[in-house]
Amino acid sequence: MTILDVRGLSKRFGGLQALSDVTFTVPRGQIVGLIGPNGAGKTTFFSTLVGLIRPDSGSIKLGDTSLVGMKPHKVAALGMTKTFQNVALFAESSVLDNVLTAGLLRFDVATAREQALICLDRVGLKSVAHKLAGDLSFPERARVELARALCTGPKVLLLDEVMAALNPVEMQEIMDLIRSLRDDGLTLLVVEHHMRAIMTICDRILVLNFGKLLADGTAQQVANDPVVIEAYLGRSAEAHT
Amino acid sequence: MKRWLALAVLIAVAAVLPLLLSPTGYWIRVLTFTLLFAAMAQAWNLIGGLANQTSLGHAAFFGIGAYTSTILLLKFGISPWLGMFAAGALGGLAALVIAIPTLRLQGHYFALATLAFGEVMRVIANVWAPLTGGPGGLSVPFTPPSFAGYSFKQLLPHAYIALGALIIVTGIFEVIRRGAMGYRLRAIRENQAAAEVIGIDTTKVKLQTAVISGVLMAMLGTLYAQVAVFFDPDTVFSAAAISIRVALIAILGGVGTAAGPILGALFIIPVEELMNDLFSAGAAGLSQLIFGAILIAVILWKPRGFITLWDALRARFARGETR
Amino acid sequence: MSFVQAIIDGLLVGGVYAVISIGLTLVYGVMGIVNFAQAEFLMIGMFVSWFAWAYLGLDPVLAAPLSFAVSFAIGWVVQGQLISRVLKAPSVAQIFLTVGLLIVLENGALLTFGSQFRSVVTSYQTMSLSLGALFVSVPYLIAFAMSLACGVALWWFMRTSWFGRAMRATAQNPMAAQLMGIDTALMYKMAFALGVGLTAFGGAVILPYVAVFPGVGGQFVVLMFTVVVLGGLGSVAGAVVGGLAVGVIQALSSLVFPIQLQNLVLFIVFILVLAVRPQGLVGARR
Repeated sequence: MTILDVRGLSKRFGGLQALSDVTFTVPRGQIVGLIGPNGAGKTTFFSTLVGLIRPDSGSIKLGDTSLVGMKPHKVAALGMTKTFQNVALFAESSVLDNVLTAGLLRFDVATAREQALICLDRVGLKSVAHKLAGDLSFPERARVELARALCTGPKVLLLDEVMAALNPVEMQEIMDLIRSLRDDGLTLLVVEHHMRAIMTICDRILVLNFGKLLADGTAQQVANDPVVIEAYLGRSAEAHT
Repeated sequence: MKRWLALAVLIAVAAVLPLLLSPTGYWIRVLTFTLLFAAMAQAWNLIGGLANQTSLGHAAFFGIGAYTSTILLLKFGISPWLGMFAAGALGGLAALVIAIPTLRLQGHYFALATLAFGEVMRVIANVWAPLTGGPGGLSVPFTPPSFAGYSFKQLLPHAYIALGALIIVTGIFEVIRRGAMGYRLRAIRENQAAAEVIGIDTTKVKLQTAVISGVLMAMLGTLYAQVAVFFDPDTVFSAAAISIRVALIAILGGVGTAAGPILGALFIIPVEELMNDLFSAGAAGLSQLIFGAILIAVILWKPRGFITLWDALRARFARGETR
Repeated sequence: MSFVQAIIDGLLVGGVYAVISIGLTLVYGVMGIVNFAQAEFLMIGMFVSWFAWAYLGLDPVLAAPLSFAVSFAIGWVVQGQLISRVLKAPSVAQIFLTVGLLIVLENGALLTFGSQFRSVVTSYQTMSLSLGALFVSVPYLIAFAMSLACGVALWWFMRTSWFGRAMRATAQNPMAAQLMGIDTALMYKMAFALGVGLTAFGGAVILPYVAVFPGVGGQFVVLMFTVVVLGGLGSVAGAVVGGLAVGVIQALSSLVFPIQLQNLVLFIVFILVLAVRPQGLVGARR
């Protein structure tokens, strides 16, 4: 069953074509990796999906509902949210309050607090719940982002580099978490620079370059796709072949 | 538990204090205005503190409140108690009208827009003489003393009404601050994009806050009119004497906290009265000058207000206890 | 005919508004701070010019450079001692610091000079040139000419002098400017002093047709903000266009509405611009 259906999505900023006719569908319960060189349009793409950026053309459907032109809070209420690559926590609030605020989308304050603690437990941060978010280390903050997004009760979760700057042990924990979320029925889109992590956890990988969708397939298919290799390695790859 | 006890003691002191002052004297007047301005600063604190939108135009709602109830009383003999609710409704409407175009604005831009709005309300009140009496102002008509008619021989009842208003407005502030709306406002204040993405309707939350703040400010305008008995556009719509002063009280005390406006008013209003008393004969403007200088000093020295002094004291006290 | 007359009056008066408001927009453009006390420097400029007229026998318009100099000096100290400390503070601290300054300056003037209105007597005060059925008021014309000269001087300074170029560099990117060896703290002082100096200059040239009293700044606050918002906060060219536009809007609205409602019309323009195009009609950096 298709949960996310994106067709012909395009967005231009002045002279820069940030997204160009991107089309794909995601069935429920998949982990989809989104890779591409820096500036490929990955973050713009996520922002467009959740309604922070309005596309010039194209359609986005979550289940049967069209999302184009909808404000981010409505998109979140329908069940899709994202984390922020540069980490956008409420720095002067406690970790718990950060996550609790997201829970208010579906619950009252008391229930949201319980939910927030569950989410924090899930990302392994229950012990720092009462610290100020601004006092945490960068990898911890990325995990708070994840817990906060989780606490909105999403069907589709877009994770923008939550594994950046993690050590291998932490990375394994997050990968396990992402898998367990998938097993709970969530659909996840994951942007990550760490290739091995992406190749390991993703059921399917999309490759974006200059706003265009270059490839769409399993890790194996994508890794062997000459177009993808060229985009990543540039002319030198061409010279070697 | 200790908090509630402290609160109970505070309210008890506030309740007894007016009885100790001469009911027709000068100090009961100072106390009444202190309580009233604390309540006004608390109403401002909703938008200025919780939503972090520095309004410099709250005199607009205040003046609307003073004029609404007084005009209703003058033209139709409606009790100011009822007039106060009409005032609240109009104040809320005005807040909505100004909030819609200015909501997206932040920081300096928002302050500019609200300042201009307050000034324009002053101009309108001056020009629309058939309704407002123009620059000559309005006198609240004398009605036989009765509680239902909101008319009293002495200031004592006014002091208690102002105290009640302060408790109610502070209660509303605390309920909002601790509730779901408080969380949402903090989220918006710290990162608007993140707040939207996790499902907060930022426009709605800001509008609600602005309207509640405007309603309360207008209702307090009615209380002011009843105490002051006479007012004109340049007083109730004054940028300096109302808009800036209420913001200043909240900031001086500690913006965004329930205690801030109360601390600020307890300092500012009596000090101002004292200075006016000392200098008014000789030098017009001296008290205001000192007041401005204090403002500059506090901004440079304790930008988070007196509340930080209190916190520092408490921290020192706590350290002493544990040793 | 009264329509054309209103446009002429509006443009003449608007030229002065431009100079008064350039200071506000310059300070914002360079430091990102809205100086709520800006109009008080207009009052200071007017007082300096009035005293120069009353005691030195100087024509108020010729005293304008003196007004500029006095305000420049005050601005230099204010920036160095006060504003510089809140450059990185939250906007609420910046707003209230300049609001505090406004209160101090206005009441300081009240304390020093008293509340009475002071005006000057000049030979050209009531003169006007007639062009057929149209009139050009001589004091308006002189004020406009002085403003124009001042504006051209500023433009020349910003374009050709090292100071001007360094200041524009600082406005665009303070970090990069600092790396290039520009003393940004000095630039901020220069910008603030220059900004309030220009406003004071504008105050002096309008003295022949506006009386001075300590609260005179309050009458120009909404006007100045409308000018800069119309042109885009931070844009000097925008302030010139905005100033002329506000002058014309004011003159035209006075054909239809009573004089007291001029501020209301300006305010509506102001709110509309903020709501529809917060970056100003001309468009600015920020």
